[in-house]
Amino acid sequence: MSDVTRILHQIEAGDAAAAGELLPLVYAELRRLAGHKMDKEAAGQTLQPTALVHEAYVRLVGDEDVRQWDNRGHFFAAAAEAMRRILIDNARRRQSYKRGGDRERLEIAEVDAIVESADVDELLDLDAALTKLAECEPEMAKLVQLRYFAGLSVEESAKTLGMSPRTVKRNWAFARAWLGRELNLGEGN
Amino acid sequence: MAVATEKSIFFHALEIESPAERAAYIEGACDGDEQLLTAVCALLRENDREENPVDRPVGAAWMSTDLVSDDVGVATTRFFPGAMVGPYKLMERIGEGGFGLVFVAQQQAPVRRRVALKIIKPGMESREVLARFEAERQAIALMDHPNIARVFEAGVTETAQPYFVMELVRGVPLNEFCDHHQLNMSERLKLFVTICHAVQHAHQKGIIHRDLKPSNILVTLQDGQPLAKVIDFGVAKAIGQSLTVKTIYTRFASMVGTPAYMSPEQAAMSTDDVDTRSDIYSLGVLLYEVLTGSTPFAPDRLQSAGFDELRRIIRDEDPPRPSTRLSTLNNELASTVAVNRRLDPATLSSAMKRDLDWIVMKAMDKDRNRRYSTAGAMAEDVSRFLNDQPVEARPPSTWYRFSKFARRNKVGLSTASIVACALLLGTAVSVWQAHTAINERDEKEIALEEARAAEQVANAARLELERFNDRLNSTTVLLASGRANADAQRWSEAYQAYTEATGVLPKYFLVWLERGGLNAKLGRWDAAAADFAKAVEIGCPIEQAELSGVPQLLFFAGESAAYDKLSNELRRVEKDDPMAVTMRGQLVGDVTESAAAELADRVEQMLAAMPNPDDSEPNHESDRRRRKYAEMFYGVNLYVAGWAHLRAGNHQRALQRLQESNQASWFGRGIAHPLLAIAHHRTGNAEDAVGSFEQSQALLDRLLDESVSQSKGSPVIPWIDWIEFLLHHREASIVVKGHTPANDPRMQQMERFADERISG
Repeated sequence: MSDVTRILHQIEAGDAAAAGELLPLVYAELRRLAGHKMDKEAAGQTLQPTALVHEAYVRLVGDEDVRQWDNRGHFFAAAAEAMRRILIDNARRRQSYKRGGDRERLEIAEVDAIVESADVDELLDLDAALTKLAECEPEMAKLVQLRYFAGLSVEESAKTLGMSPRTVKRNWAFARAWLGRELNLGEGN
Repeated sequence: MAVATEKSIFFHALEIESPAERAAYIEGACDGDEQLLTAVCALLRENDREENPVDRPVGAAWMSTDLVSDDVGVATTRFFPGAMVGPYKLMERIGEGGFGLVFVAQQQAPVRRRVALKIIKPGMESREVLARFEAERQAIALMDHPNIARVFEAGVTETAQPYFVMELVRGVPLNEFCDHHQLNMSERLKLFVTICHAVQHAHQKGIIHRDLKPSNILVTLQDGQPLAKVIDFGVAKAIGQSLTVKTIYTRFASMVGTPAYMSPEQAAMSTDDVDTRSDIYSLGVLLYEVLTGSTPFAPDRLQSAGFDELRRIIRDEDPPRPSTRLSTLNNELASTVAVNRRLDPATLSSAMKRDLDWIVMKAMDKDRNRRYSTAGAMAEDVSRFLNDQPVEARPPSTWYRFSKFARRNKVGLSTASIVACALLLGTAVSVWQAHTAINERDEKEIALEEARAAEQVANAARLELERFNDRLNSTTVLLASGRANADAQRWSEAYQAYTEATGVLPKYFLVWLERGGLNAKLGRWDAAAADFAKAVEIGCPIEQAELSGVPQLLFFAGESAAYDKLSNELRRVEKDDPMAVTMRGQLVGDVTESAAAELADRVEQMLAAMPNPDDSEPNHESDRRRRKYAEMFYGVNLYVAGWAHLRAGNHQRALQRLQESNQASWFGRGIAHPLLAIAHHRTGNAEDAVGSFEQSQALLDRLLDESVSQSKGSPVIPWIDWIEFLLHHREASIVVKGHTPANDPRMQQMERFADERISG
């Protein structure tokens, strides 16, 4: 049994503290996977974060548990969080690099390919809006994180969050509109 | 606190459909709080906006390029202009996509022509692809329609990649053509109708496209008129099914590119369950795009949705109606759309609003039972719209039919409306007015009544026709299933499918022809003859390839009425007959010496035109195969020539040709023995006559023994050869031996074997 599977079982059994162990493991695996991919891919190729998340799942947990949705739920919650951190860290570094600093140039290569430079600002804006949303509607922010950073569908998100798909759909509509309003604030309509 | 309130108002507002009621609710709920009102309105506006940063998971926009492109990249190095693929020389490259590459290619033989050659990327199981293509090949060959690009053949490259050879169409995708040439609405619709007819034609032959989209419909200008050609018929099925294996990621990647045109049942990935109605759905999407300039679900959104989300959207979400889509397009885009369609945006939207909405939404119904049952029915409905007639898609409301009717019959109806108003008032005065009106316009009233009656008759006829179309549809599906099963040698399943088809559409010649063919192949002569007789009685086009051997069998089984009818028709055929199928049909019965001499002439001319297969030295595998085919044609024609000479009384020529046919390599080699026996007998050579007859008897014994030992109803040679051989042998026995051959117990055994095959 892999570490991750063990942790998932512990969470399942009610050990809330185990969730804290999950994130670093998933985070490390995602970074490793992204770096590994970049070695193999030609320059200019891009990776898809949501595909990475699914691949990390298969690597860390294996195929046999695929049908156990409760387990997957905890995993994807952690993976979405991890992916968000990776991408945002990366975007911040690149932004500072754009401003002239080249101190951390070497460190950024591995996940560079995930986000195109043009989207860096958009990503950071979204992250800020999402943080703001989490202050008043934490469940909704979590939903956005699952769908945006881990690529989960409405049904998958519903299972992960333990809600009905109908509620998730409603919440999604609200979160989407809320973020849209937040981000479009300066643009008039 | 403010957030919770705006949230609850937002949720509640979403439930209210009517914009007016919704606005009223929001007003009330905000209760004069301007700030709250602004906030809620902003939320709802964002909710309606199609673009939102979170709509696509991060980075997903590049999805389509990374899993597919390197396969194509590998392929690119191997296939370049000048390279040979089978007998085809690649020329310029004209296309590239998730499936592979498309080239213009030069074919050298048997005809010099340019074709389009589509090379499927590695990773598809090539044997599987070819087998699936092979299963439909006959049906594909039967397609003959000006709006369908022909698919000539399929093959495998040296690197084991399947390829398809198709008619070369130099056109541009449908949507690009419409916009570049700024076709107006009615031009677009007329073009679309021709596409429906093409699809209908294919469906009638049992072929489902499965991948209808603008890039598979190429439009060219011919004599100044746009001509649409649907390409890739039969190809999607052949390469389609292997998409379901692999991992979720590659599967996802394979789907990306066309999900916008994919029907809900296709999205469900139950590939077995796709029928003609999936194509109707795709036609609906095409029409949607032709009208609005965009697909029902934004491609961006489909590409970025998770795999399951994508399928859910296609299966569950109702797209906005085309007219709604047009009115919500932002101004700039709408006016581009309008310019391209030569209409101002307002007209565009209202012209389309009702009828076209219904046509599109009916075609795209999630429940395929509620879609148009055939592409033809959809074409008719679009044509009705063009002619200002009521469309079928619309739920028939009296007022609607009346208003359409009124537009067509403006004069007549003014009378009718006066009558109607008068009766409503119900006063003596108005009755008198009505009376006057009727008297004044008596003739128009009668004309109106007639028009009404005619409309009723037309409606009834159309209904009948559509029911027939439905049955035709299920019949073609049954026939296709029969063929597939027969190809796989699942005889009883094939027989059942054919039999079911004869029940659904007994007045369709093809169902009898197909079942007859199966029966004949298995050696169930009487059953086969009965089926064929039925097809002939109904009346079948005599160009059918399935007619090969049918006259012989009808003659053999004593179906004389059907035989006479068929051979009379065959006599009138003037077409080329490379395998001498119709000539053999005429020779089998009573044929006059002069008619036989004429036939002999024709075969001799054909023989003279064919290269003698002995002349060429085989160098390559392809040469060898070509030579083998040539030899087969040649052998058949030698035999037919000898047979015709014999019937014409030209015995020396007959002997020469028949002996040559016994030297050639073809399936029916040896069936000339009994004819040789007769020819020897007629020239007074009793010894050779008996000798040839004994050879004939030996061949018969061998074929019968083989069949019995393998528990089969018919020997390995084609049944047309077999049945002619039986006929010739019987004749030779009478001529040479003076008696009909005794009933052979092996024949009865074989009949039993044949019956067992179809009972499973």
